Amino acid sequence: MNWLRLRRLWHPAPLKRRYDTVIIGGGVHGLATAYYLARTHGIRDVAVLESQYIGFGGSGRNTAIVRANQRTPENVRFYAEGLKLWRTLTDELDYNLMFFNCGNLNLGHSEAALNGFRMAASTHNFLGVRSELLDPQQCAELIPGLDISDRPAFPIHGGLYHPPGGIVRHDAVVWGLAKGAAAHGVHIHQGCEVRGIDTEGGRVTGVRTSLGRIGCNRLGIMAGGYSTAVAAMLGIELPVHPLTIQATVTQPLKPFLHHVFSSGAYHVYANQTLKGEIAAGAHMDPQVNYTTDATAYYLKHQAEALVDLMPALSRVRFMRIWAGLADMTPDMAPILEGDLGFGGLYLDAGWGYFGFKSGPVAGKYMAEYMATGERPDILRTFQLKRFLENRYSGETAAVMKYGHWD
Amino acid sequence: MTFRLTCPVCGKRDLYEFTFGGQDRGPRPEQEGLSADEHFRWVQFRMIPGGMGAGEDAGPRAGGQGQLQHEWWYHGQGCGVWFRTTRDPATNREVKDGGGEG
Ligand SMILES: Cc1cc2nc3c(=O)[nH]c(=O)nc-3n(C[C@H](O)[C@H](O)[C@H](O)COP(=O)(O)OP(=O)(O)OC[C@H]3O[C@@H](n4cnc5c(N)ncnc54)[C@H](O)[C@@H]3O)c2cc1C
Ligand SMILES: [Zn+2]
Repeated sequence: MNWLRLRRLWHPAPLKRRYDTVIIGGGVHGLATAYYLARTHGIRDVAVLESQYIGFGGSGRNTAIVRANQRTPENVRFYAEGLKLWRTLTDELDYNLMFFNCGNLNLGHSEAALNGFRMAASTHNFLGVRSELLDPQQCAELIPGLDISDRPAFPIHGGLYHPPGGIVRHDAVVWGLAKGAAAHGVHIHQGCEVRGIDTEGGRVTGVRTSLGRIGCNRLGIMAGGYSTAVAAMLGIELPVHPLTIQATVTQPLKPFLHHVFSSGAYHVYANQTLKGEIAAGAHMDPQVNYTTDATAYYLKHQAEALVDLMPALSRVRFMRIWAGLADMTPDMAPILEGDLGFGGLYLDAGWGYFGFKSGPVAGKYMAEYMATGERPDILRTFQLKRFLENRYSGETAAVMKYGHWD
Repeated sequence: MTFRLTCPVCGKRDLYEFTFGGQDRGPRPEQEGLSADEHFRWVQFRMIPGGMGAGEDAGPRAGGQGQLQHEWWYHGQGCGVWFRTTRDPATNREVKDGGGEG
């Protein structure tokens, strides 16, 4: 019965007083960066410091949707590479990440929305990423429960179908990356809260934590929605606004929904998990905050939106509701930066609601950036200084928009 | 949990009647002699007090836990007035000036 024995995926390591590289935040971004630092660049003297437990942040709370149908070529390229990584990582980590390649259908409810879809699909296709325009009838063939009549408040005018996307199990990604990073020598310290950052002569020299001081040569801030607070320890202001997003799951049902569908007009997206639940989001509360508060208002809104689009869901019960933080930037594109005024300091933040799908690819390039000190070309577009030069990314024109953040 | 805000005209009303107007950053800086860099910093760059680790060591500018934020709100689904209030981003609650729940 050896196969029944529980085996730990990774083992806690003793806390050293000094590491070459320290990463703040045990989410997908921090863990992926640590993994690639050790695996690809041979930098194994790395610690990931996580104040709670790995996956406590957005990485364990997201709705697990992955796709590459962004608006601007720079972003499409980046996310398209991210999408390809799930398969290689599943092999590399020897851990089932449960990539369910079911495709995403974005619904459009006006002619203007369809024009937006046309432009987006052209960009995707030009870059070799599959996306196609569907009429309402084709949308209903893909997802039989959709009401394509003119009864709903926002009737369906068409859709943008993106076959390469789907769902990946988020816990598996966190655990798999932790397993892989630890196997290459990375130390993961949970329950270790960073409270201050030390610098000397314009370089970072270490962090002050709830478990004492830890020295380092290189420091990565990868604290998701808490990045603004961590950067503030060095007096650094960021254009990153922490806002809560909420999500729900219903009771499990027999499989009937075989794709992710979403609608910006209704502020809703939904898919059926491999367990049969309808997982749905997303609502973003308007005010900056660091809580994970869920609200009755959201539940009501979610029910109305789901039932209007798919009336057959009207008797289905919600089982759970939760919230997590999203680190919103003004242009809906992230900040990947090593030029922050302190030597050895790196930042990977501002992912909004796109940070799960981008975790591994961002980690891959942040590891290269931190290992070589040279900014990889693909990250040029994500510099912090764009906000000081009025060169915002065009991502706010993307088809996916779910909240007050406009 | 949702919470209520105090509109100066209508009194305590549900959060979802309001639109968030952002941190109160004081008056817009004088444009005369202002660099683009300073302008954009004023428009978008923030320190939001109250995140994890923003405790005693965080330094005066960062604001520790329990530090408050002055901000603007708009009562769009009520009387239509813009007003200032004070809130703790770590708890989401409105706080009376001088402490205690508002
Ligand atoms: C409800 C919801 C749905 C979402 N849906 C999707 C989706 O479908 N697809 C998608 O791509 N993205 C989605 N997202 C966004 C995505 O979850 C995040 O962008 C992503 O998880 C960010 O990962 P991260 O590693 O940067 O940060 P996080 O996962 O938030 O990790 C940061 C970690 O830093 C730790 N930390 C913070 N401060 C400190 C400190 N001072 N010291 C030590 N540790 C600290 C935190 O405890 C946390 O674990 C969703 C988010 C939410 C909330
Ligand atoms: Zn009012």
